[in-house]
Amino acid sequence: MAYSDKVLDHYSNPRNVGSMDKNSNEVGTGLVGAPECGDVMKLQIKVNPQTNIIEDAKFKTFGCGSAIASSSLATEWVKGKTVDEALQIKNTEIVKELALPPVKIHCSVLAEDAIRAAIHDWKAKQGAAKPVAAEAK
Amino acid sequence: MTIDTSKTIAAAGSGKATASCWSCGEMRAAHFCHACGKVQPPSPVDYFSFFGMPRRLNVDVASLEREFYELSRKLHPDLSARADKREQEWSLEQSSLLNDAYRTLKDPIKRTQYLLRLEGVELEEQSKTATEKARASGEVKKQIVPPDLLEEVFELNMQLEELRMNQKMGEDDPTLVKDLEGHRSRLEKKYEELAEELKSHWNQWDKALDRHSNEEQRAALDHMVDLLNRRSYIRNLVQDVNEALGN
Repeated sequence: MAYSDKVLDHYSNPRNVGSMDKNSNEVGTGLVGAPECGDVMKLQIKVNPQTNIIEDAKFKTFGCGSAIASSSLATEWVKGKTVDEALQIKNTEIVKELALPPVKIHCSVLAEDAIRAAIHDWKAKQGAAKPVAAEAK
Repeated sequence: MTIDTSKTIAAAGSGKATASCWSCGEMRAAHFCHACGKVQPPSPVDYFSFFGMPRRLNVDVASLEREFYELSRKLHPDLSARADKREQEWSLEQSSLLNDAYRTLKDPIKRTQYLLRLEGVELEEQSKTATEKARASGEVKKQIVPPDLLEEVFELNMQLEELRMNQKMGEDDPTLVKDLEGHRSRLEKKYEELAEELKSHWNQWDKALDRHSNEEQRAALDHMVDLLNRRSYIRNLVQDVNEALGN
């Protein structure tokens, strides 16, 4: 199967690979997996508690090129967004951007799951400290 | 890999095959007419029905095998070499259906996967469906695989990456190798335990069938899906560890 240029670009030159301190209150961590192919993806966000803006994002993915590209793209997209804006990202947008074939759609699903899981984790942390700001509408 | 069962499944749901022999008009069996012994056109049935079995998961593989050999012999296209062209084709089609059915049903995992598909569970679709549900409700999607297994998969992959890096640099890290070997034997044990666990879900399914309980059937199916998901993770991990350790 041929990968699109965009997938290849993210795959050979992934953005924002790495990790952040998962115990930090400003960091939300999402760890998700796709049992279909055995992929596992970790995505972390660092959120400014005053503005709710995602200031940094890191990922580490073990999986195929499409899974790596999907998570790399996801970190690019969430940066600069508020958490509520980031929650609007849909897997279909990732599919479109990367021109993923049908058999690789689950990779984009995984990336959306990772974003949501990371935001959920962050919100849970804020919930303990600051329930009002953390509550999504 | 998925088994292409869509055809037979779709066909199985689409109504009944003719119940009488094309040749003599008597009531027919699945493969041959009881009365005149002529081969019959393949009827659109699922693999369980092909062997005249209920959709139970505890299968007597030895008797399935006997049945398979017996039917193989009877359906062998050479036997109908002197029959008309139509009959020859039916023999051939029935033979190939027989082979697919046998291969699927004798294997515990393939049999389980096949039943799940017959019962409308799409393993490939489950994750996407759950994500769409979570998006619509605003709730956090429950991961299909338990978090501690995911954590383990991730950590082990990190170690594997480190090992590969070491190997690339020509460095040795005996502690890491030993660690990975430990993980591997633990995973292999877990993998074997899953086979036992699967049997308990089979029993649950078979019992639910006997009791005609839809609720219990659904529960058994869910358990099997969950197990197959964990199983594929563990299988992949063991493969990766073996590959990285070079044995």
